[in-house]
Amino acid sequence: MASSDAAAGTATAGGGESGRLFIRQTSGLVRELGIPAAIGISLASVAVVNTFINFNAGLTDFAKADMYLPLIAAAIIWLVAMYAYRHLLRAIPRAGGEYVYMSRIVSPAIGSMAGLGIAVVFTYVLSTNAHFAAQFTPFMLSGLGSAFHSTAIANFGNHLGSNLSIAWLSVILMLIVAALSLFSAKIVARIIFWLIVLQVVAFVALIGVLAFHSHTDFVGALANYSGHPSAYSSIISSAKSNGVLFGTSIASAVAIIPFMVLNYNGVLYSYYVGGELRRPGRTYLIASAVSIGVLVVLWVGVWAILRARAGLTFMQAQANLGVLNPTAYGKITSLSSVAGGLGYGMILSPDPITKILFATAVPFAEIAVNLAFLMVTTRVLFAQAFDRLLPVSVAKVSERNHAPNNAIGIVVIVGIGFCFLTSLVSLGSIVALQSLFFALILLAGGVAAWLLPLRRADLVDTSGMPEDARKGLLRKIAWIGGATTVLALFTVYELVAHSSVYGKFSWESILTLVIVLGAGPVIYVIARSVRRQRDSLDLAMAMHELPPE
Amino acid sequence: MLKSLRKPKKARALRIFFATDVHGSDVCFRKFLAAAKVYEPNVLLLGGDFAGKGLVPVLRNGDGSLRAELDGNEVTVPAEGWAQLTADINRRGFYATQLHADELAVLRADPDALDRLFRSEIAAQAERWCQLAKERLDPAVRCIITPGNDDPVDADPVYAADERVEFPSGMVCDLGPVAMASLGLVPYTPWNTERETSEEDLAKEISSLLDSLPEGRACIMNFHCPPYGTGLDDAPELDATLKPVIRGGRPSIVPVGSRAVRDAIKKYQPPVSLHGHIHESRGVQRLGRTLCVNPGSDYSSGVLRGAVVDIAEDGTCLDFLLTTG
Repeated sequence: MASSDAAAGTATAGGGESGRLFIRQTSGLVRELGIPAAIGISLASVAVVNTFINFNAGLTDFAKADMYLPLIAAAIIWLVAMYAYRHLLRAIPRAGGEYVYMSRIVSPAIGSMAGLGIAVVFTYVLSTNAHFAAQFTPFMLSGLGSAFHSTAIANFGNHLGSNLSIAWLSVILMLIVAALSLFSAKIVARIIFWLIVLQVVAFVALIGVLAFHSHTDFVGALANYSGHPSAYSSIISSAKSNGVLFGTSIASAVAIIPFMVLNYNGVLYSYYVGGELRRPGRTYLIASAVSIGVLVVLWVGVWAILRARAGLTFMQAQANLGVLNPTAYGKITSLSSVAGGLGYGMILSPDPITKILFATAVPFAEIAVNLAFLMVTTRVLFAQAFDRLLPVSVAKVSERNHAPNNAIGIVVIVGIGFCFLTSLVSLGSIVALQSLFFALILLAGGVAAWLLPLRRADLVDTSGMPEDARKGLLRKIAWIGGATTVLALFTVYELVAHSSVYGKFSWESILTLVIVLGAGPVIYVIARSVRRQRDSLDLAMAMHELPPE
Repeated sequence: MLKSLRKPKKARALRIFFATDVHGSDVCFRKFLAAAKVYEPNVLLLGGDFAGKGLVPVLRNGDGSLRAELDGNEVTVPAEGWAQLTADINRRGFYATQLHADELAVLRADPDALDRLFRSEIAAQAERWCQLAKERLDPAVRCIITPGNDDPVDADPVYAADERVEFPSGMVCDLGPVAMASLGLVPYTPWNTERETSEEDLAKEISSLLDSLPEGRACIMNFHCPPYGTGLDDAPELDATLKPVIRGGRPSIVPVGSRAVRDAIKKYQPPVSLHGHIHESRGVQRLGRTLCVNPGSDYSSGVLRGAVVDIAEDGTCLDFLLTTG
């Protein structure tokens, strides 16, 4: 290592015999997120334990459901999409996700459609996550009651089932998330990290509990918990008499794929902070691949062990009987039919620590997801405010906590409004196409990657490549973008073909989707024309991509 | 009635496109020049820290081929690939220099020689950039480059002597509706860079620049260092070994701007103050009537962050737009 105290700073050599880079010491670090931080963002955006909800939804909505194929197929879809987003990120390495990609590659109006749509839908997702955690509270209290041998705690959960209670519990969760978000980003990141650790520990504990018990143990534990010596076989026979079909079917496995696509949703979200990633393409690729790998191992592993311990027939029977004939189900056992693997783990769990872990896994997971989603949502709003599409005050960062407090406030207030609506009013028909919207986001990413070499080939770094190699790279990006588009279209098709499960088409749901998608372009056109008349600046300028040549 | 109450619309008299801290990135400089066509400014202004930070030794092998390490990968090209290799290295914001193994050993052993080589490469790049500006820019667009603390003085004469580029370092220049005061000095940093001084001396430098202006003449500030504690100056806290201080598993972020610049903005209240220096603190803040802008920098990704600022005939700021291209 050589160095010199020169007037322009200290010059140092990297060392080694192969002629490595000499670095001149100068000021100006750039905030950089490495691979661990990107993995954290990716995993935080996916509620690891929410997989049980999607397992349950698949089991109840489709006969003869099995999860192996959907879990693997959905992972492949996200893997292909990962490569598409990697090329987008290398070409346009900055924050804002589909808003930035579409506005720069396709058109500013389409980008605005994606940006505002994502902000609105993600805000609604915050409220549904809070609502789900609130609905899970009775299960949590029952688990805590069991852990502390307190019937008072367990019974208290029974008083929290009303819509108003659920609404207030959702609001409390939203306020907790809002309060945590007011800390600096580093503290929020730390909180998210530990909440993810808790989820993973709960998952590993669950796998351990299931692995160290036999099928016979499970049958016995269910009988003990239910106070019904033949609870296991009774649930299966009762389900059979209620018309539940057992076994596996390729058709239903294919139809469940969208559930699992939604299950992984968020696993690529580190591209939303692309402007802060060190060596964006590489960091993003490694972080996303690791995250997908971790989820595949955890989810396929837990599904395999659930099949081995509880049995596919039992899981199909329990999930469906709880929906088709809750009275008959309730007479056999008090174990929640939606609790899935966590419920199985809890009845098998020998000690209070794992019971507490399983009971609190979902609420903690929802807090982590909401913290991550709040960061992503405010970042998308922030990007639009920076482009002057939204009032600049939305992008104002507080000097105290270095957080965009105004953006956080807007999202939390709207989210609390959604919490009340979700709990007290039947929004089902209005927001029925939420799943479709998520598939459309994936479609937007695929289309942007497909069009990148066709419309903005100048943004693809092909420096130093011979012409043939350059054309080859552009063709490869177009193929990956095209493949992502096709897979996203397949997901959209499955969602539409099974609209009775994934969201019915009604005038309310279609109108809502049109408003969500239409608001962005309308705001863009109005903001652009107002600004052009009032000042001289054209908003479209903010969405230009400068060519280097 | 309403129409008569409405403020008369001010016409734009000047548009500035401001970018900063490109740190030797050829891609960013080319984008800077391309911004003239995209944003149609009257003035292209490149704030300080134009000098690159890295020098890639390219070894000449016995068979005439060239070997270098790029992004951690060893690359070998034939001798005729030198131009392309240089372009690839420059695109990353580094300088390329051809060496024999024995010359590399000398360079490793002699820090002064390494420093001289850096300075000559920075000056050579300044010449190339001036030539590029001459070739690519419409004559109607003014191209102004000012230094920052990381820029060695060796490049100053190159820019100052060029006919196409203006270099009003430590001076006030006329932009039409407003004047512009430029200063590349920053308060002392842990990096011991070329243009550093104390807060007291910085305050004196600023006063000597601005006090000479005629009464009532609007003047914008092009000060490399951002004002202290405005959110435009948040940077990772460094320890004595120049490594970021980690607290709670994350870098500790502290304000590192200049109190002298902040006091000057409060005192003189320019319509606009343009800053750089802190790459990660891209943003806009108001200090009284002054719009303070730091477009930030993402040069290492080849991204040019900039700001478009429109000025009215009376010297007031009409509007701004942060750009990323």
